[in-house]
Amino acid sequence: MSVTSGTQSTGEVQAEESAHDQDAPLARVSYTRSIAARVLPPALAVFSIVAIWWVLHQIFSDLLPSPADTAAAAVNLLSDGTFFFHMFQSLRRVFVGFAIAMAFSVAVGIYMGTVQAGERFFQPLVVLGLTIPGLMWSLIAVMLFGINEVAPYFAVAATIFPMLVINIWAGVKAMDKELIDMSSVFRFSPSQKIRQVITPQLVPNIFAATRYGLGLAWKVVVVVEMFGTGDGVGFQVMRSYQIFDMQAVIAWTLTFVLAMILIEYGLINLIERRMTAWRPKVDVWRR
Amino acid sequence: MARLEVSDAQKWFRREDGRSMKVLDRASFELREGSVTALIGPSGCGKTTLLNAIVGLERLDGGDLVFRNDDGQQQSRPLIGYVFQGPRLLPWKRVGDNIRLALQGANVPREEWETRVHKYLDLAGLSEFVDQYPLYLSGGQRQRVGLARALAIESGLVLMDEPFASVDELTARQLRETSRALCEQLHRTVLFVTHNLSEAAYMSDYVVVLSGRPARVQEYVENSLPTPRRWGPEVHQFAAELEGKLSSTQEAIA
Ligand SMILES: Nc1ncnc2c1ncn2[C@@H]1O[C@H](COP(=O)(O)OP(=O)(O)OP(=O)(O)O)[C@@H](O)[C@H]1O
Ligand SMILES: [Mg+2]
Repeated sequence: MSVTSGTQSTGEVQAEESAHDQDAPLARVSYTRSIAARVLPPALAVFSIVAIWWVLHQIFSDLLPSPADTAAAAVNLLSDGTFFFHMFQSLRRVFVGFAIAMAFSVAVGIYMGTVQAGERFFQPLVVLGLTIPGLMWSLIAVMLFGINEVAPYFAVAATIFPMLVINIWAGVKAMDKELIDMSSVFRFSPSQKIRQVITPQLVPNIFAATRYGLGLAWKVVVVVEMFGTGDGVGFQVMRSYQIFDMQAVIAWTLTFVLAMILIEYGLINLIERRMTAWRPKVDVWRR
Repeated sequence: MARLEVSDAQKWFRREDGRSMKVLDRASFELREGSVTALIGPSGCGKTTLLNAIVGLERLDGGDLVFRNDDGQQQSRPLIGYVFQGPRLLPWKRVGDNIRLALQGANVPREEWETRVHKYLDLAGLSEFVDQYPLYLSGGQRQRVGLARALAIESGLVLMDEPFASVDELTARQLRETSRALCEQLHRTVLFVTHNLSEAAYMSDYVVVLSGRPARVQEYVENSLPTPRRWGPEVHQFAAELEGKLSSTQEAIA
């Protein structure tokens, strides 16, 4: 090593064993058992809902269609060529509205958590915003912007913004002050502080807010679509309602719920796992 | 010439009950250019507080810090490499990236980053772990990454708060040797806190002995052991001498 050559009394620290010894025997959990542990609980959850639904259907058979009939209706919907169009319209409104709200709430949440004047200014507004129902924003949005894409985006963003901000603001307030101090000593720029020190600490809050926010966004989108657009899942649900087709109402809802579950498991879980790879797994109940 | 003069440093902390507690009581000493100074004193006396004040994380309630540049001109607070009392790594950044971020903050040209990262991780004995996440390292390994980060920015002034406290004695000894040799070679001015008096004796050119809280400078001792240092009876003898000075400050409180 070049640093110390030329001085007498040096002995460098022995480099430690390679960090990736290939033939190291690792303790392994059986593959089938780990799959079972992952799949069984959510499967059981879905099963119990279907079971309750089926019982209710037995009691109110003229009102509530059976799970099997509804599933058949949902499959029928899929074969209808316009299904994916309407689904795509709704999903786009959910995600664009959500993305707008998230961008603003990360900025405002960090501002509120780090600047006292920011907290004093936004806190009353956020509390106020939390009390305004999504339906109200939907009406206002359609009246303001008319029947076009701006209305659902606005209604979604306005409704979920306060709830996202609250999550992120709470995360900023719980931040590790020692790491902020470290970044000040090593002269991180403000943007480095936000990107490398603050935002990573907000990842759990951002994911909690995402899961809750997407659900809320969908509820708002359906409402806007019922009277403010000519397409989308909400529009279809409304049409089914007008001819009092309960089976279709539930079938549309069901397909959308399935789409959201796929997104949750396929996309959000995956991103979350990748973003938290730095954190060793903990097992609280291990004995 | 003094790199840093600490004069009449005073610090109070407000306690929960609203009363204030004096932590630094007119502490004065200087860090001479290119020298290594050890800061010793009883636990809780205010050593970390003093280091935090020097890097600018705490504001002094009285007294002055005068930093000087190479020409002896007074200057504002320069870039300082700081080994915190804990590792303080970003757990979501790999070991190498933790160091690269500090290099970026220090405006080190990007072309030099890889050389620096490897040179200083090598020095800490951790080159295998450059792509590992900090939470997968042992406590002592993390502390060594903190050491590598503070040295890698190659600042003129380096502060270290118990830098070798969480590693075994043999590794600590090698780290002391390498960092002392490096600081001599690069002509750094170093202030380090330690509870290990042999370490203070081995590493230092000067020793500041603090009293118990509130910390006053009890003694400023010049270390006359010959350089380059060797482990041996002289080191232990000087350590024993320091121990005497420390315990007399303890008695002064009692
Ligand atoms: N932010 C703070 N607010 C209030 N009191 C503090 C704060 N930081 C430190 N103190 C108090 O100041 C005193 C000195 O703390 P400091 O961390 O400087 O001690 P130290 O000499 O580094 O001790 P050790 O050797 O155990 O690390 C302690 O009594 C501590 O309780
Ligand atoms: Mg301390």
